[in-house]
Amino acid sequence: MTSSQYLCSAPPPRGKRRALVCLTHGCSTSPQVDPKRGCKVDVVFSTERYNQEEGEQRLGKCSAHVFFKNQKPRPAVNVTCTRLIEKKKREEEDQLLYKRMKQLKVPLDAASIPDSRGHIDASLRPIWDLAFLGASYVMWEKTSQSLHYYLVQLSSVKQWKTNDDAIDFDYTVLLHEFPTQEIIPCRIHLVWYPGKPLKVKYNCQGLQTSEEASGTVESGTVESGTVEGSAVAPTELSNI
Amino acid sequence: MQGTPRRGLGPRPPPVNKWTLLLCSFILAAAWGQMNFTGDQVLRILAKDEKQLSLLRDLESLKPQKVDFWRGPARPSLPVDMRVPFSELDDIKAYLESHGLAYSVMIKNVQVLLDEEREAMAKARRLERSTSSFSYSSYHTLEEIYSWIDNFVTEHSDIVSKIHIGHSFENRSILVLKFSTGGSQRPAIWIDTGIHSREWITHATGIWTAKKIVSEYGKDGILTNILKAMDIFIELVTNPDGFAFTHSMNRLWRKNKSIRPGVFCIGVDLNRNWKSGFGGNGSHSNPCSETYHGPSPQSEPEVAAIVDFITGHGNFKALISIHSYSQMLMYPYGHSVEPISNQKELYSLAEDAVKALYEVHGIKYIFGSISTTLYVASGVTVDWAYDNGIKYAFTFELRDTGHYGFLLPATQIIPTAQETWMAIRTIMEHTLNHPY
Repeated sequence: MTSSQYLCSAPPPRGKRRALVCLTHGCSTSPQVDPKRGCKVDVVFSTERYNQEEGEQRLGKCSAHVFFKNQKPRPAVNVTCTRLIEKKKREEEDQLLYKRMKQLKVPLDAASIPDSRGHIDASLRPIWDLAFLGASYVMWEKTSQSLHYYLVQLSSVKQWKTNDDAIDFDYTVLLHEFPTQEIIPCRIHLVWYPGKPLKVKYNCQGLQTSEEASGTVESGTVESGTVEGSAVAPTELSNI
Repeated sequence: MQGTPRRGLGPRPPPVNKWTLLLCSFILAAAWGQMNFTGDQVLRILAKDEKQLSLLRDLESLKPQKVDFWRGPARPSLPVDMRVPFSELDDIKAYLESHGLAYSVMIKNVQVLLDEEREAMAKARRLERSTSSFSYSSYHTLEEIYSWIDNFVTEHSDIVSKIHIGHSFENRSILVLKFSTGGSQRPAIWIDTGIHSREWITHATGIWTAKKIVSEYGKDGILTNILKAMDIFIELVTNPDGFAFTHSMNRLWRKNKSIRPGVFCIGVDLNRNWKSGFGGNGSHSNPCSETYHGPSPQSEPEVAAIVDFITGHGNFKALISIHSYSQMLMYPYGHSVEPISNQKELYSLAEDAVKALYEVHGIKYIFGSISTTLYVASGVTVDWAYDNGIKYAFTFELRDTGHYGFLLPATQIIPTAQETWMAIRTIMEHTLNHPY
């Protein structure tokens, strides 16, 4: 991790927090690599709200211990922050967002958000935000000592259901992988109801190694994903 | 997603009686698989209360659909906009009036608006005759950029000329702009953008920079001094085939479009194809990889063209290769963590350049050698340049740091170009003041 790397993630599902915060201008210690066990990094960073409004204050200061176990993905993260959004306000905002989303009519041929020129229609912002939240869990699960990710695009919406009072969102995203520069398509299925743990199921396609990485994440508990290797012909990148 | 709007009538049929005309347009529209909105209107309705709102919702649920809501029934205080097909107009208006729903006609004929929009889009896309109407805050197609180059050279022929340095794999022209106030084989500065086609902000920054150079010559003392003694070369579209592909089929295409018999995947990473540390770590021998280095150094015509040009010229003193994204300014090496002999000087220069950049819009860049700042990458442009005697070899990774990544909104083009310019200017000034 270099200083001032921009990172958005949902903090590991330890407590009941689910604030989406972004790292800006952080500093880290040099990774301490223990060949037997793995790699430890201590990070200090400040956060700001995702989709921060003009003039809004920076949020809290956080410090985290990140532990990569022997090149394996899904590092263990122990993070403490001061001055995040307080619980009551968070719950209010969740409810507001949830209501807006229930009313949203998502055109099922909504593809390529943002578009080629980086534009996101204001009416489609909530979809993008939720897609980003789900993708951040996937990225955290896939991140290892040598691989990290950014979300490029919401490439298609398979399903957007709001019955049973939950938001049921089935979509595909494109992740940009460093340092390989590969574009990884991931199918994500998330179910969200404010106050209940977020459920994320995903399935990503690898290119060269033809591995499929899939898993389930539930905030509150983390279930292990399964990685299966199979001899599959390389898949062509989907057309954008 | 490439869209040509699926609307609009075909070309005008010859003058005949009105029924034949109508028949012809419907057949044409049907044949072209396009919709006809002639005579359709958009009505704005203000529902007084929930009761009226539910009357509108009834319309919404009619099957087959009689109306198309542009702004659906939500709350009594909010207007409801609905497009009513020509054939349903009488019925719908009668329905509204009989239930006391107040409405106004927002759009009298939808098709007219669509035709006007199509005309406007076609006009905007038509190749412009001058650079003054070219939008520097938009992303452009290859044709638009090449057209701009011709206009630009014509308008500033006193100091700008166009050089054709080769052809791409798919036989597109590879063009370089030369900025010179005279002399012969003057010490030169090279700038390239777009070696990775999906990095659209780089081409846009290059174009703005070209414009900046001609407008600052004679005004900015530093730039004027640079051009009095040195020449500047800018290659705007270093990977034209890849760039065309990002517009037509795959916005995230990175490599060139070279094809080899028996090879399943297309394209070589042009920034792994240079003859310095070729084939090492941080590049791939698998043709399907995004960092495939190609069968041999300089195997790609796009790279060979630059190598031939720079080597043939023989007097380049600085090389700046521009990429996105990550907000970094770096110098060699990419293929090794071993520091170059001029490490101290380049570190210090990078520090100054990044500071100058920061002062424009407060954007922070980190800097250092490629291998220690970004990642190990072999066969990269700047390593080759450095090994071939070009001391001031730098590579930029422009905005941002992952929020939008390659899909950087067009609104950030000019701010990015403005700040990058100050960094480039710093490097050029240092090159001028430290001849070697």
